[in-house]
Amino acid sequence: MKKYDTPLLDELEKGPWPSFVTEIKKAAQKHEAAADELGQLEKSYKTKRGYWKHGGIVGVLGYGGGVIGRYSNLPDEFPGVAHFHTVRINQPSGFYYKSDSLREILDLWDKYGSGLTNMHGSTGDMVMLGCKTEALEPFFAEISSRGWDLGGSGSALRTPSCCMGASKCEWSNIDTMNLANTLTQAYQDELHRPMWPYKFKFKIAGCAVDCVASIARADCSIIGTWRGDIQIDQGEVENYAKQGMDIKAEIVDMCPTGCMSYESKLEINNAECSRCMHCIAKMTKALGPGPEKGASILIGSKAPIVVGSLLSWVVVPFMKMEPPYEEFKDLADKMIEWWDDNAKPRERIGELIEAKGMRPFLEAIGVEAQPQQVYEPRKDPFFFWKDEDLG
Amino acid sequence: MEKEELKNTIFAFVEKAKGKKKLKEKDIIKGVSADAGVEKDEVKKALREMIDVGRLMYSYGGGASSVEIPSEEYLREKGMIK
Ligand code: HEM
Ligand code: HEM
Ligand code: SF4
Ligand code: SF4
Repeated sequence: MKKYDTPLLDELEKGPWPSFVTEIKKAAQKHEAAADELGQLEKSYKTKRGYWKHGGIVGVLGYGGGVIGRYSNLPDEFPGVAHFHTVRINQPSGFYYKSDSLREILDLWDKYGSGLTNMHGSTGDMVMLGCKTEALEPFFAEISSRGWDLGGSGSALRTPSCCMGASKCEWSNIDTMNLANTLTQAYQDELHRPMWPYKFKFKIAGCAVDCVASIARADCSIIGTWRGDIQIDQGEVENYAKQGMDIKAEIVDMCPTGCMSYESKLEINNAECSRCMHCIAKMTKALGPGPEKGASILIGSKAPIVVGSLLSWVVVPFMKMEPPYEEFKDLADKMIEWWDDNAKPRERIGELIEAKGMRPFLEAIGVEAQPQQVYEPRKDPFFFWKDEDLG
Repeated sequence: MEKEELKNTIFAFVEKAKGKKKLKEKDIIKGVSADAGVEKDEVKKALREMIDVGRLMYSYGGGASSVEIPSEEYLREKGMIK
């Protein structure tokens, strides 16, 4: 195995925290790819230039995604990373693994890849870093024979992901893991056969704390919520006050809708509450979500590529979320169909709604306009009536 | 239309666009369905069979996916030609 002098990278091993350099060095004892990865990275640090190329057509037969082509610009100098493709593996809902399933996949990765992984990528998948083109099919054959599958990439549905929700968290208003699994199974074709103008992501959070950051990272964010009044245990409210919590400053004044008051007891004007979870997350013992559970469906978030970044906004304020989730799937299909029919290449659904307006979008998906959908107040005085409106 | 004939029609459709326009799967399904008067689902099925055996392939560039005629390099890599 080639050894490189890496004085700059070595700096990143100092200090009490774990270091990716240390990890890559460990992998480099077994893998030429990891060794050359260190060499190339040190060179990048020295010259302040990147040497990775993206793209190319790599993948497994029949699938249009799941592998992201990566090549070195300096294959002669660093042959071990001449190909260094990324393989996405569909993660289980909520990122749960048995230790032996992790060992299985990592052993296979030692056999076919660089031994380096990144758990988990922002999409949610397990990210296996550094595969040679010729190792892709054999690696895929082996993982798929053991029940693993690739995740999404390209103009496809990206692997749905969710918070651990109902399995471990008392705030979850929906069975996030069941829903993520159901969507993954239902949209297998869309996940593996890129057929759309661009990527599309579902992310599912059990409540507005949004541990998967669905509101910022998913074209369709599904966020658990409730109908009815926040459950209050006034005795526990008193305990918080006795233990020194400044309920006015920390809770009431921080409520974004200003719908709380605290005189002798805590009161909430539930009609004005936006279900943001601030008060519940701060006073876990005193407050709890309301009795009727479901989810808000939001649309549109994305990182800045073609135009600026967007956060998702509400399309359906409340929907029951129970298996087999037909109502949701029906809505999702309509949203995607409208986008697929109207978008330019590389245009995300949020951008398309910005370009065309909420109105044609809502008409296409058959949802009534509602106050909760207002993203921000209008800035201009124009309203374009249609002939039907004027009757 | 016979399946084999449909596949040839699909192939010709993709060949005509080669170098001019990147086709998404849906463009092919819509286009061939309109040209040949075949149900969209039938076109989709035939198209996917072609992809599964490497007669056509999914490709990727500039962030978006398309369907293309495989290069010799790709076919060699997949062991489909020597
Ligand atoms: C009794 C006579 C008039 C009344 C009561 C009147 C009233 C108004 C009102 C209420 C607005 C809207 C202001 C806003 O949106 O904040 C407006 C805008 C306007 N008016 Fe008049 N107006 C009168 C005569 C005129 C005349 C004679 C002209 C031009 C020859 C005129 C030109 C305009 C223009 C250009 C605007 C638009 C301003 C903008 O978009 O910023 N108005 N008027
Ligand atoms: C070279 C000549 C002109 C230029 C460059 C010009 C430019 C503009 C601009 C930039 C606006 C604002 C548009 C917007 O932000 O939505 C505007 C609005 C307007 N202009 Fe002119 N304008 C010209 C001549 C005129 C004339 C001659 C009239 C009337 C006799 C006129 C009547 C108006 C009115 C009524 C509006 C307001 C439209 C609305 O709010 O719906 N403009 N103009
Ligand atoms: S998003 Fe809500 S339900 Fe999900 S894990 Fe976080 S706090 Fe719990
Ligand atoms: S959930 Fe949010 S909006 Fe509702 S009462 Fe609590 S802090 Fe206010």
